[in-house]
Amino acid sequence: MTTEPAALNQWYTLGACKDFGQGASARRLLGENLSVTRQGERFIVSASGRFLPVKTDFGHLWTSLGTPARGLFDMPEVKEVDRRHIYCGAVTVRASGLRLVENFLDLAHFPYVHSDILGIEDKPEVAKYEVEQRREVDELWATKCEFFQPKAAAASAGGQISQYMYRVVTPFNVILYKTSPNAPNRWDVIALFVQPVEPDLSIAHPFMLMIDETSSDAELIGFQQMIFLQDKIVLENQRPRLLPLQPGRETPTRADLSSVLYRRWLKEKELTYGTEERSDRVA
Amino acid sequence: MWVPIALGRDVPKGTTRAVIVEGRELALWRGESGSVQVWEDRCPHRGMRLSFGFVRGDSLNCLYHGWEYGTAASCRRIPAHPDLDVPSTIKARAFPVAEAAGMIWTRDSGEEPMPALPDARPLVSLAIEARPELVLMVSAAAPQGGAQIFADEVDGMTFHIGWHQVDDNKTMLHCTTRVAADPLLALGAMRALRERAERRAA
Repeated sequence: MTTEPAALNQWYTLGACKDFGQGASARRLLGENLSVTRQGERFIVSASGRFLPVKTDFGHLWTSLGTPARGLFDMPEVKEVDRRHIYCGAVTVRASGLRLVENFLDLAHFPYVHSDILGIEDKPEVAKYEVEQRREVDELWATKCEFFQPKAAAASAGGQISQYMYRVVTPFNVILYKTSPNAPNRWDVIALFVQPVEPDLSIAHPFMLMIDETSSDAELIGFQQMIFLQDKIVLENQRPRLLPLQPGRETPTRADLSSVLYRRWLKEKELTYGTEERSDRVA
Repeated sequence: MWVPIALGRDVPKGTTRAVIVEGRELALWRGESGSVQVWEDRCPHRGMRLSFGFVRGDSLNCLYHGWEYGTAASCRRIPAHPDLDVPSTIKARAFPVAEAAGMIWTRDSGEEPMPALPDARPLVSLAIEARPELVLMVSAAAPQGGAQIFADEVDGMTFHIGWHQVDDNKTMLHCTTRVAADPLLALGAMRALRERAERRAA
């Protein structure tokens, strides 16, 4: 178990509420075994006999091993009545949860990892986009992201230039707003909630709020799972498995602006869970 | 010391191969012109293992973002920035490489040249769950100077066997012969050697 406040004092999902059966089930978070008890729609979460705080926002069960300074982040689209709530399942990944978030923020891999779906090799360029740290809400935003996508979503009829916005709400939770093929003036919302099990082992819980009246649940889930399994091949084969924060360990370029800001933000928070040990700082 | 890490035949043109040598992950690849490279299995950009990459002509391209590396290990193209003149400081980590006696060799330290070895035919590579010392002990091996290779006689046939240590409990053997040999006989001999070494290690 970690004793690090920056990791403990955060909200983490343990999965979609609907995936918990009645009675007791076991989960693991930050190296600690948790017991979850469901009685009807009520959830009790405990660790070593200690009761932990519980929330059930966005259809997911949330808890914390510490004392979060703030409530859970907001996701107002969850209240829009015409959106489909799509739970994409839980995927275990042998990698740091921070690597998962960073990959989620990355545009440049689309033509290679998601070839002929989210990108094509003939159009690999990442146009300049903007990043900012919104200090009043303690969130990172990347805006004005654009990328040519031959099949941007399950409902796509053909290629499109997709617009993206990224919003990192906590070190392990990130939300993507993406051009909806069905509603040009609105955004589809794809969230990636990461449950850090160990520093180098994570469970990803992708969740989507889609504007799509035609695709079936199975089609929407299938599309997202195909994309995520392609990412998993990369994520489990990055070395080190932990995210390096030490300058010089990796080589960012202009396309990696959001990753640069994300790593700087993690350092500012003094978060080390899921990061590689550094040799450039004296304790 | 030069260490054989694969049979040359097992890295055909246009392919990559991942090999672990003394706990270090290495990527081997062979371009269309035929020369083989031994690199750290890690793209300097985001740490992706380069053995997952794809070979085109005489370049290795990282699977993650398509960064293209030439045979000198320098990155020469970053697809996300097509107009960028890639700084020469962006390089994969390359190790010395030699190809001799049917095997691909590398050297992690020292300066000695690759010793001259007679040509040999590749037979089989085989993993053994035992430390190299145990494997050498059971094989009545006669080591050959300067290179990690020994000769072993089985059923009247002489095999020239290179070896490298994978980790604390695993050894890879790369079996070759200098004359025409029956591959099944070689495989049988290597399996018998594996059985003896693993029994001893247990």
